Amino acid sequence: MVIITTKKPVDEVLNVLKDNNARKLFLVSCGVCSALCQTGGEEGLVEWKEILENEGYDIVNGIVVDDVCDNREMAKVVRKNDADVQEADSIITLSCGLGVQSIVQVLSKKYPEKNVFVTNNTEFMGMTERIGRFYMRCQGCGDCLLNETGGICPITTCAKSLMNGPCGGMVNEKCEVGNYEKDCGWVLIYNRLKEIGRLDLFSKLRDPVDWSESGHQREVVWR
Amino acid sequence: MAEKKVYSKLGEMLANGEFILTGELEPEKTCDLSHTIQEAKEIAPYVVAANVTDSPLGIVTINSMAASHIIQKEAGLEVIWQLTVRDVNKLGIAGMIMGGHALGLRNVLSLTGDHPALGDMPESKPVFDLDSATLIRLVKDMVDKGTINGHEIENPPTLHVGAAANPNSDPMGAEILKIGRKAEAGCEFIQTQVVYDLDRTIEFLSEIKKYNVPILLGIFPMKSYGMAKGFDTFVPGVDVPKDILAKWKSIKTEFKDDKKEQKRLYDQANYEFFKPFISELKKKGLLAGVHCMAVHYPRIFPKLMEVIKA
Ligand code: SF4
Ligand code: SF4
Repeated sequence: MVIITTKKPVDEVLNVLKDNNARKLFLVSCGVCSALCQTGGEEGLVEWKEILENEGYDIVNGIVVDDVCDNREMAKVVRKNDADVQEADSIITLSCGLGVQSIVQVLSKKYPEKNVFVTNNTEFMGMTERIGRFYMRCQGCGDCLLNETGGICPITTCAKSLMNGPCGGMVNEKCEVGNYEKDCGWVLIYNRLKEIGRLDLFSKLRDPVDWSESGHQREVVWR
Repeated sequence: MAEKKVYSKLGEMLANGEFILTGELEPEKTCDLSHTIQEAKEIAPYVVAANVTDSPLGIVTINSMAASHIIQKEAGLEVIWQLTVRDVNKLGIAGMIMGGHALGLRNVLSLTGDHPALGDMPESKPVFDLDSATLIRLVKDMVDKGTINGHEIENPPTLHVGAAANPNSDPMGAEILKIGRKAEAGCEFIQTQVVYDLDRTIEFLSEIKKYNVPILLGIFPMKSYGMAKGFDTFVPGVDVPKDILAKWKSIKTEFKDDKKEQKRLYDQANYEFFKPFISELKKKGLLAGVHCMAVHYPRIFPKLMEVIKA
């Protein structure tokens, strides 16, 4: 599993830096997911260094970190590079939204005045077919239905996240959303359940998704 | 089973097993419903009730609950209030069901609704908290048990709830099982998508007969060649047969200078196509009636009435 990111337009990032009067930058690039998505890693770092230097920014330092999204790892990085962090007015993060917030959280104790900016848009947690082909197949709903839907997620593969599809928007197995180019998730589920001889599961009237526990700063805390 | 309760003319006629005709009204992006009210008055002598659409194709129109109420009041025609789960969460929909009842609505058609991405406010949040089956169950709980989510309603609503079905759906098996879910949820009538293929329709209706829900067959009489062609091109999943298109085209070209005759021939051609189609299904005991989805074509209704009565 990878958190899939894409690059923000360079101008969008440059405008943000300008708006915030950033001058001295410390770059942190994700060496795992964003490296795979070619939005971070060593290559991304080199690319952004060049862009920013050409724009006249002072690059204090730039490093690749394996787990930007791990608070412990980031705390270590900040400790090790304390002088550089202190000198920089802003941190530029080449990572997903988790990485950025991890840095914000870690820095907020010692350096609450430092800005943290991001160069990427976070798309979804993705399944990799090959590099350059990533697919959203799970939205982490917290109550996995795959045991009842033949291993195909209705929340993700149905454009309306319906619990009782297919809807009237399905034509020849395709979905109305996106010009009938994508498979209707509920037809995928139907075909799969048929294959495994479990159409009884397809016949089941399903309850709506229970939203009472979802959506607000969800956490998993077991120690 | 206890005797079926009846809350509307539609409910009553379905319970009596009368072969009925329903129509369709499509309010637009306007706050003035006078055109729709006029059309409702014109079809009122022929239909038991008429559907009032809820922003079809995701193109925003006047709210269907408000329009339903006004049309019913001003035109004196019972309505089938179309309600999609696209725009409102279940908390909101439960409130709307009570509101709809308070406004005098007695029939509601549960629909998923076209995705906002298809319409003219594509950046809207798609809600779909319920789906077309769980909306039916919500209404049935409110009406039959007088509860919402187990909580008592002081004065519960009384409405009949219906659903849509699509005989053109492929794979048909998935659609059939889905109708099974709607029936389980308590669906009281079904209106089908427009169909032109008789064999397919027979197969489909025979399959869903087991669910014991009265079926109104969706038809679309075509007012002109342009309408027929447009329907064929723009309604996904429904193909107007080639011979119909050819016939309508010939009426258009051969009588382009005699509009009156052209109209007469279009009406006649609709009659000739739909009469045997409907009679066949009626004879087989597969239908409870017909739902005519052609809007802005009120003059066809007397002819449709002949078909229904035949
Ligand atoms: S049901 Fe879908 S979204 Fe929920 S956990 Fe399972 S795969 Fe993920
Ligand atoms: S066509 Fe299928 S995938 Fe698309 S919204 Fe309807 S049920 Fe979901």
